[in-house]
Amino acid sequence: MSEDSHLESPFSAASGPPPPATVTFSRILRRSLVHRRARSLSALTALTVSAAVATALLTLYADLDAKLHHTFRSFGANIVLTAPSDAGFGAQPIARVEQAVGTVGHQEVLVAPFSYAVATTESGRPVVVAGADFDAVRRLDDWWQVDAWPPAWFAAQAPAVPPPAPALVGQRAAQFLGDAHNVTLTFAGHTIPLQIAGHLRTGGDEDSRVYIPMAAFTRWTGLSATVLEVQVPGSAARVEATVASLQHEFPGARVEPIRQLVEGESRIIDRTHALMYAAVLLIALTVGVSVLATLSASILERRRDFALMKALGGSHRHLMALFLVEALVIALAGVVTGFVIGSAAAFAISELNFHTATLPYVSVIPIILLLNVAIAAAAAFFPARVLRSLQPAALLRGD
Amino acid sequence: MPVEIKTGWADSVTREECAVISLRHVTREYAGRAAPVRALDDATFTIVAGEWVAITGPSGSGKSTLVNLIGCLDRPTAGTVKIDNVDTNAMTPSELDRFRADKIGFIFQQFHLIPYLSAIENVMLAQYFHSMTDEAEARAALERVGLGARLTHLPSELSGGEQQRVCIARALINNPPILLADEPTGNLDAANQTIVADLLKGLHRQGHTIVMVTHDPEMAALAQRKIALAHGTVFCHPVGGPVVTLRR
Repeated sequence: MSEDSHLESPFSAASGPPPPATVTFSRILRRSLVHRRARSLSALTALTVSAAVATALLTLYADLDAKLHHTFRSFGANIVLTAPSDAGFGAQPIARVEQAVGTVGHQEVLVAPFSYAVATTESGRPVVVAGADFDAVRRLDDWWQVDAWPPAWFAAQAPAVPPPAPALVGQRAAQFLGDAHNVTLTFAGHTIPLQIAGHLRTGGDEDSRVYIPMAAFTRWTGLSATVLEVQVPGSAARVEATVASLQHEFPGARVEPIRQLVEGESRIIDRTHALMYAAVLLIALTVGVSVLATLSASILERRRDFALMKALGGSHRHLMALFLVEALVIALAGVVTGFVIGSAAAFAISELNFHTATLPYVSVIPIILLLNVAIAAAAAFFPARVLRSLQPAALLRGD
Repeated sequence: MPVEIKTGWADSVTREECAVISLRHVTREYAGRAAPVRALDDATFTIVAGEWVAITGPSGSGKSTLVNLIGCLDRPTAGTVKIDNVDTNAMTPSELDRFRADKIGFIFQQFHLIPYLSAIENVMLAQYFHSMTDEAEARAALERVGLGARLTHLPSELSGGEQQRVCIARALINNPPILLADEPTGNLDAANQTIVADLLKGLHRQGHTIVMVTHDPEMAALAQRKIALAHGTVFCHPVGGPVVTLRR
């Protein structure tokens, strides 16, 4: 053994009189954790990773449905109502839809009324004209690529010779309308001058249509809204319930869910949930193996210390408590740091993918705590058995 | 032949009556792959209070097993082990832990100090597992072994001899009747061996019972008796030597 001190005593004269010496469970625990800081940090890192990943996924999961619904909103309507006749839906169809949707528990619903007519251009070419509420369409169909939305147009201000109504023209329709700025269409002998305010591109049937304000359309054709496009958030089951409620509110109307969207959204949400659970489980298993290795190495490194404590009269229960509380302390520290890191990660992921902020969910802490404690306990099981089978005298002799 | 020692009382007493350690037909077997391994075979001897006994034997002779049994760290497969006239076989594990803390002070070849506790804290660790800590007592124990100026030093800051002295102080702190020393000078240089040997001689003079496992013939020569082991068998444990004052 070296005769020379190669480390400074923590209680040198320069630092004043030493504090009273004491030996307590917590002091032994604390000193042990600090003395083997590399091992402690290794276990802490692993448990922090598990807590952080679980926090991030559970925080995102808690808000996932709302975020995915918000994303699916941009795909447009998931229910379409078609009026039974050209008479349309009558007065205040939007309010009636909102009322019907409200009975199913929805708080948010987007409704856009449409009406269609086939008019002819000055050259005699037929073109589908749609009356629409542009404000509602902008909210419902924000996936439409529009270079400029038409301004508001009020029927009340129209004199005997109404000014041109603003029109939104599909890119295919624009090719055969001729004039890039103004166009006159005829329906049932009635003409309407239109001023082209913007162009539309969707890749679908909308590209072949001309959209004008519903008020102008109704004034020109005499037709009111005959199609209502509705978007409600929720699972496939909720959408089906909404369909039933709308069918009750609008007897005779054809009410159909857009199956691709409804079922696609439901499948994506279910699969995302399953993926999250699987990811949490996989991470937990990986972390468990890592912590098991760390704790096992810790037991092996300290087997002589434990053997000594046993020789000095330490009961098996006491030694187990020392070992298990140490693992528990590391698990708890992992929960705290993991929650902070995981919440930050969830915030960043949410911003990047959904452009909304996800605030920390304190309610996930009990789950994270349970997860980390379970991992630490499972990982401590086999090392604890090794501890139980220690042969003190042989170990203390160096055998 | 039992030793009869006159104590001044009217009746003579026997070793058996004054035994602080008594093994009778003690056997210890461990499970082996093909057959049980008999580490200690039918050992019978006594050690009286105040004796200094050296246990010798080659590696594999059963010394560790004997230390385990005397130190209440293990139980025999057969036979009885009595420490201070108490049959340890009858005790529950928790009773044995308490009994060990009360009766046995351990001195190890490799010192086995907790590296993150200071010298005085290492001594107080023995108090912690025994009853309650007392800094003043721990300080006195370290001063007794000449380490009054090294109380707050970590084991890494102490020499080998100093570490062994801390170990001795730790072994003495709870006033156990038996000191169990396992190669106490095995890891020390000549100078420190002398220091530790002198400490043990002093403790023996004060009346401590010392059971010492050793390979060192010079250390063995300090003891009053030698118990020799070979292949798990106690084949030599002569009683005799200097007069021993028996204590009940």
